Amino acid sequence: MDYIATLKILVIGESGVGKSSIILAFTTGDYNASFPATIGVDYKCKVMEVNGMKVKLGIWDTAGQERYRTLTNSFYREAHGAILVYDVSEPKTLQKLNEWVEELQVYTTKKNIVCLVVGNKIDKPRVVPREAGQAFAQKHRMLFIESSAKTQEGINLAFEELVQKIIETPGLWETTGSSSNIRVSTEEARPQEESCYGSCTI
Amino acid sequence: MEDVLDEVVSSEDLQKFEKIFHEQLHQGNVTHKAQFEYAWCLVRSKYPTDIRKGILLLKELFNSHSEGKRDYLFYLAIGNARIKEYNKALHYVKLFLEIEPANQQVLTLERQINKRMEKEGLIGMAVAGGAVLAIGGLVGLGIALASSKK
Repeated sequence: MDYIATLKILVIGESGVGKSSIILAFTTGDYNASFPATIGVDYKCKVMEVNGMKVKLGIWDTAGQERYRTLTNSFYREAHGAILVYDVSEPKTLQKLNEWVEELQVYTTKKNIVCLVVGNKIDKPRVVPREAGQAFAQKHRMLFIESSAKTQEGINLAFEELVQKIIETPGLWETTGSSSNIRVSTEEARPQEESCYGSCTI
Repeated sequence: MEDVLDEVVSSEDLQKFEKIFHEQLHQGNVTHKAQFEYAWCLVRSKYPTDIRKGILLLKELFNSHSEGKRDYLFYLAIGNARIKEYNKALHYVKLFLEIEPANQQVLTLERQINKRMEKEGLIGMAVAGGAVLAIGGLVGLGIALASSKK
């Protein structure tokens, strides 16, 4: 195994804001202008390097459609990070993020889960000012970034910032008790240098 | 977990949506929503009997409720793939792709089903090979016994 941890990342937000497009842009670099609505929940994997360490991301793409609302919240369990997406050309999608924040608070099991607010579609004419997104993120103590899945702008940075913060949050991903989420091999872990990760080999 | 076919429903979810479905069934008025939610849990169960039940519920929805067709087709494919009815699963994938030929989610599912068929095809052949060896051994033993009786 060449990665030190598997992190569960959840992507949520209203239907049509570009959740799947962001994940596609991040995992493959591709863009698809006519993305159909996600059915239920989709799953993608990607190994990325942060601070010279390889981590495996299990990214859960949830359907934004109302009909799936009651079904998808069981996927919030054990998530290490959450990406809350809105569309900068649709103000309503930022307002609606309030409901998604509430869902997160109810259904996440990790108290110090790292959250990132993403204002997507900055390639389109902007209606929501950057400051509005930033204020929302600040209010909920979340990270903030603007992106365009179409032009790739901000996409990698979004995941890097999120994963970096997760790695820096001790207790979030080390000894969680849920062993399936953690894969740390003894030879790769350097507890003497950085105390934030233990050496539980599975 | 490598793909969506590995994902298993939690027992709490299954129980929760089962209860809602049965309550409605008892009242004689099951909504599409409740039936779909329950079926969605069933096809993600680890027990084949649950999955088969989920498939039946989804088929019923597919025939009666045109609005959610793409969702029903997708989970019919997932359910069948999970009980290793790969040809049926691919049939639903094909039906889906007739409506949305470029759907990434479904194209990925198709690849995963093919991968599993390939992998299990090889295992199947190995099992069959083992059986041939065993039968050969029995025949050999029979011949040996027969010849020793002479």
